[in-house]
This record gives sequence, C-alpha cells and structure tokens, in this order.
Amino acid sequence: MSNSGKYFVGTGLIALALLSLSACDTGKQQLGDVASTATATIAVIAEGQAGSGIQYGFGRAVTAEEVAGWDIDIRPDGQGLPPGEGSVEDGEELYEEKCGSCHGLFGEGEGRWPKLAGGMDTLTHDRPEKTVGSYWPYASTLWDYIHRAMPFTAPQSLSDDETYAITAYVLNLNDLVDEDFVLTRDNFTSVEMPNRDGFFVDNRPDVSNPRCMENCKDPASITIVESLLAATSSSDVDDVVDDVVESNVTSDAAGDNSVTESAGKPVYDSACKVCHSSGLAGAPIPGDAADWEPRIEQGIEVLYSHALEGFQGESGMMPAKGGHTQLEDDAVTAAVDYMIEQNP
Amino acid sequence: MSVFNRTGLDKPEARVPQSNLPRQLTQESAEKVTELSGDDRRGFLKRMLSVSSGAALGGVALGGMGATKALAELSSEANLPPNVPSWTRTLGQGVLTKPYGEPSSYEKDVIRRTVPWLTADTISSISMTPLQDLKGIITPSGLAFERYHAGVPDIDIDQHRLIINGLVEKPLIFTMDELKRFPSVSEIKFLECPANGGMEWKGPQMEGLQFTHGMISCCEWTGVKLSTLLEEAGVKPEGKWILAEGADGSAMARSIPIEKALDDTLVVYGQNGEALRPEQGYPLRLINPGWEGNTCIKWLRRLEVGDKPWYMREETSKYTDLLADGRARKFSFVQECNSVITSPCPEKPWRAKSGADKGEPSTGWHEIEGMAWSGRGSIKAVDISFDGGVSWVNAPLKGLVISKALTRFAYRFKWDGEPLLLQSRAVDETGYVQPTLAQLREQRGLNSIYHKNSIHTWRVESDGSVRNVQLG
Repeated sequence: MSNSGKYFVGTGLIALALLSLSACDTGKQQLGDVASTATATIAVIAEGQAGSGIQYGFGRAVTAEEVAGWDIDIRPDGQGLPPGEGSVEDGEELYEEKCGSCHGLFGEGEGRWPKLAGGMDTLTHDRPEKTVGSYWPYASTLWDYIHRAMPFTAPQSLSDDETYAITAYVLNLNDLVDEDFVLTRDNFTSVEMPNRDGFFVDNRPDVSNPRCMENCKDPASITIVESLLAATSSSDVDDVVDDVVESNVTSDAAGDNSVTESAGKPVYDSACKVCHSSGLAGAPIPGDAADWEPRIEQGIEVLYSHALEGFQGESGMMPAKGGHTQLEDDAVTAAVDYMIEQNP
Repeated sequence: MSVFNRTGLDKPEARVPQSNLPRQLTQESAEKVTELSGDDRRGFLKRMLSVSSGAALGGVALGGMGATKALAELSSEANLPPNVPSWTRTLGQGVLTKPYGEPSSYEKDVIRRTVPWLTADTISSISMTPLQDLKGIITPSGLAFERYHAGVPDIDIDQHRLIINGLVEKPLIFTMDELKRFPSVSEIKFLECPANGGMEWKGPQMEGLQFTHGMISCCEWTGVKLSTLLEEAGVKPEGKWILAEGADGSAMARSIPIEKALDDTLVVYGQNGEALRPEQGYPLRLINPGWEGNTCIKWLRRLEVGDKPWYMREETSKYTDLLADGRARKFSFVQECNSVITSPCPEKPWRAKSGADKGEPSTGWHEIEGMAWSGRGSIKAVDISFDGGVSWVNAPLKGLVISKALTRFAYRFKWDGEPLLLQSRAVDETGYVQPTLAQLREQRGLNSIYHKNSIHTWRVESDGSVRNVQLG
C-alpha cells in the first residue's frame, strides 16, 4: 500500500439541471406533459477522496487474542471450526432442554417458530417446507448459526462441544446422519446436504417489460383480484380511531386508570411467552403450580419487583421487564397478574 | 367500469391475518392514549377544560360519554373564526420543556406498525414505515422501519469496537472516536427489506400502503467509505469477499463481494444529522446502497476479508429466492426498480375528512403523488395508469433525484368520481422498466418471498375509498 500523500481537494459541482414551470388546468388529457408541475432536478456531484493512498494511522493492531474472541464464523470448507465433538445422543438431550420448546421435539416447529426437519422434496410444491434438511446447502451454516445466535434467549452460551452435539442431532432429525453418529471437526465436511446444488448466483434482471404507453392490453381481459381481507374499508380507519380516542378521554376524565385483567395477555404473548411457555432460563410456566406456589408465597409485590427490575435466582434469571424495557410498568405487572391467573 | 370483470377470491391459498388491521390501528391508538404520561394526560385534560370554560360550558359534568362528545364538537367550533382559539389566549410551553423535541400530539397516529402474524415474536420481527404520511424523500429517524433478529442491543459507544481481520496486511481495531477521524461522507440512500411486498406474491391481503410497501426508508447517512478502512488495513490480493458482522444477539452476518465493498459501501455512524438510532444500528452500521437491507449490518463490530463467501444463515436459509422449479437464487443483492402511489392510498382516500361533506367523495383536482426507487441507480421516469395498465401517462419527477434514493413523482388530475385502477410504473437509468406481477410470477412462481417489485394497483371506488387489488 503506497503512502504517497497525494490526494485531491474535492470539488463540489452543483448542476441545476432543469427548472420548468407551467400552468396546467386539464385532467388526464395532459398526456406526456412533463412540465405539468414545477420540477427541479439538482444533481450534486461531490468528488470524493477515496483511493488517495493515505495511511491515516488511526486505530491500532488488533491482537490475536482479541480476534479469537470475536472471530466465530464457520465456512462450508470447515474453515473456522474449533476442535471438538458431539454425539447425536448428547445432542438429543441438549436439544430437548434448549431448543425443543420453540422448534418442537422433532424439529417440527412450534407456532411460527422455524421448522427444522422434514419437508424433503417439497421445494416445488405449492407450500414448500424449507428446512435444514430440505433446503440448507451446507451443514456449516447450522453449526455457525447455533453457535452464534442460539438458543434465542441466550445467544453465544453454548460450548463448542454442545454445538457439535446439537448440530449432529438436527442432522439426525433430518435423517442425514445415523443415531450413533459423532460429529467432529475432522469429519465435518463429509456431511453432504441434499440441496447443496440447488442454488445459483443472481442472474437478474430476469424480466423485461416494454415501456408501452397506449393500447397496452385489452381492457376486457383485465380481472380484479380483491384483497382477501377487505372486511372493512381502510378509509374508515380514521373515523374508528377518532371514536376510540374519544372514549378513552372519557374514561380518563372519570379517573379510571385501571388496567383490566385481560390487558396482561397481549403483553404476555409478545414479551413473556418465549421463555415462560417453555421454562427457558428457569422461567416459571403459567399453570404449573409447583413452579408458582413458592413464588406467589413471597407476595405479589416481590413478584412485581422481580419482573420490573430483574432477578437472579437459584434456578434461573429474569431480566428486567424480560428485556422489553420499553414496556410501561403497568403492562409488565398486568402480565404478571395474567400469568398468576393461569394457575388452578 | 363495466369493462372489468370482477372475479371473486380465486386465491384461497393466500394467508388471512388473524386480526383485521383497522382493529389493530384502533387498539394502538387506544394504547397510545393509555400510555400518555401524567403530564401529557393533565395537559390534555387542561386543554379540554380550558375549552369548556371558554365555551361557557359550566354546569355540564365531565365524564359522561355524551358530554365528552358535546365537548369535542364544541371544541372544534370554539377554535374556529370568528372565535379566538384557546391557544391564542394562553401561553405555551417554554424552551427545554422537551430538551429532545417530538412531533405534535396531533400526529400521534403517524407511527410504525406491524402485522402480528408475520413473526413469532416482537424481538425477532419487523415494523413498517408509515409511507402514507411522509411527504419528502427523507424518512424521519423515528419512523424508519425496524428489523431485528434478536432485539435492539443497548450498546455503550465507549465500549464499542470495530475489528478488521482476515486477509489484510494489518488487522486493526478501532474505537468509535478513531473511526470518526477518517474523512467522512454524507449520502442520501434508501434502505429496503427485500421482503417488502413479499406477503402478496400469492394474492392481495394487506389493507394499507404501510403494509404493502412500508419496509423501506430513506435517510442521509454519514460515515466513512468502507474502501477507506480497507485501504488502511490493506486487502491482500486473494481477498474477494467481506464478512460483515453485528454485535447484537443474533451476531447478524452477511458476505459482501469485494467489488461492492470498494465501490460505494459505507460504514456509518450518522443518520439524518445525528447519531444512528439504536434501532438503526447505534453506534455503527454498514450501508450497501441499493442492496438488500439485510446486508447493511447493524451494530457493526467486525469486518473479515476472505477468499470465499461464508454462506451464513441469512444467505442460505433466508434471503434466497426459491423459484417454481425448486432451485433458488443466491446473493440476490440488488433491490430492483420499484414505485408506489402514496396519495391516494387506502389510508388516504379521496373522501372528505371533515366539513359539511364529510365522508363524501372528493371530486375535483388532486395531486397524485408517489415514490420510486432503484438499487441500480437513478430514477429516469415514472408513468401512471388510470385504467389498470391499458394506457399510461408520464408523471413528472419532483424534488431531488438522487441515485439509489427515494424519488418523488406527482401528477395533477381532475377526478370526476369514476372508479379507477391506479398504477405507477418506474424506469431507472439502466432502462429497466418496473415489471407487472404476472411477469414476475411467470419467471419466479409464487414462493420467492423476496424481491417483489411489481407494478402495484390501487382500486379507487366511486365513493372515494381506495383498495388494494391485483390484476389478473
């Protein structure tokens, strides 16, 4: 890299390309009238100084140790894989503990969480199932992603061996390795994914639409597909919103600021359910009396305070507001109430 | 419009949301009011009370629904001429009442929104920009659509670092202060999720512009050219790809070809004149102008130079485009030329919002407005059709025309109340003409999810309402 010190002083060039004004009082008959409204096109061309060859000397050399802590990427050719190993058998136990509540015990996916297994030969179907086995081209992506981003609520918490084991188990769920398989750095690249040749590099533009202006198609050939919703015209939204704002002002003026019982459910669904429906990170599961009784005995204020401010217990950890710090306190306590209500 | 054959719902496979959107909007507004802080509530009540006394409403008890409605009606008249408005007869708030300013309380409905059924959880989810309420090419930072895979990290700028490693002569680590010493550039570029519009490959199902096209924003980004940083580190000759990686809980990572990295990729810390918002990657993010938003890694912590791509989850499992024959496009980076009419739209119908003719169709003069953009460069032209694409007229561009930025177009039109099938069609500097949905489907089938940039159709009814439809 040369360090000649040669650089350009940037020149700013402002070109006022077009400014046209025209009065116009006809409707859509104004075909092709480009000057129907004031048009100002200003092109600002600023000559940059990239490629100047200057070495600024900012920053410092990064140490190998610093890089090692952050350089976690794994490539299909195995570059980046750390030493280690994990069996399908160990992976099954880890998977059930850390993954199954969202991805399903057999990789089928709970709710809208990603399905991991199955879907073989469905890529041409009306509803293709794109799973690790049916779609992913490389097993390295699985190891890399599990290690960098999973479990969802505790990313980068898995050891290398745990990652090997869970990777092996997900491969097994997809019938890509046997149940007695042990995945290691050395045998990693021997795992071949069924859809490895299913991808090709972007070749767009793949369509060419001529810029036709007149008689571009037969009007009689046009059919209209309505929105599948369309239950309520959106143009009524403003009116509906106005009505609701009014009724809220009413309740406000009456001094009614209470949060209703049901207010907790949407909060629970959007902010708490990930952990509390599955017991992730030791979270008590609504409806599980054994989980809740000792907690309820501490009193509701203690529960509120742990939910609002966070709590480190023996069995797990509750982040303040479950990590959803944008939530109002009332919303969080309503969600606590909702969870307690689920107990018999 | 008897020439059009109305077919019924012949796309039963398209997905029906679990809740209708107007109800969602309603709930959000209700929540906004409920969430008002004590001061805001008191302010609101105070305004109402001052109106009531000004209108000599003494004796009418507050709190009843009827009274409130009467109050609201009176309030709107009490501030109209010849009466002197309440805000003219009282003093407003002083400086620093809000050290960081915010929009008028009357703009409370101009907010980001989401579609609940799209994702399993709000932490890994997306919200949309309210395009229907934006009139310029710059998206206010607080309205720019959000996309997170592990929520927004709360990063201490003093403890944030950028590492450059891999196939470079000098692996480096930077503090934010050090990065800001490099020569900076400021560029206005759009940022679009490649899934924008992707819910409608199989059929129309969104009721508003915010949901059909809102996964886009356009901001002024300030930072360092990536080429400047790569020159500093010295890319080895075998370096062909860059891995950009985030510091969030998903450690989001994408492979970027070196040609793009050395061309116009930016490493930015500024957005619309201030620091990046946390939602947009504070304190540092990548901007690949014109490319998939997902490649513009937020909370950027590391750049690695390599000789091959990495095939991360978001360039294999996601952000690849499955075609009808079962094969899939990979590295489909460019956001192709697109456009949409933003006025009228379902949220902005041609119907009177107030006055004696409230709810009546607004016949007469309108300025049809919209936005066009292309990841391949500047917008060259936009055409508008009133008849579902049988004939087209040129709609002049207005305001700034900047490469890879939102570009406005407008067309004056005198509406006589006849139903319309309103469309816009953009052409970019490469000569590429925005395609029809039928053309895209013919090439790609119905399961691509991403990169649906087809001509969009609004059906304007004779009552002035506007509905999202597709043409067969």
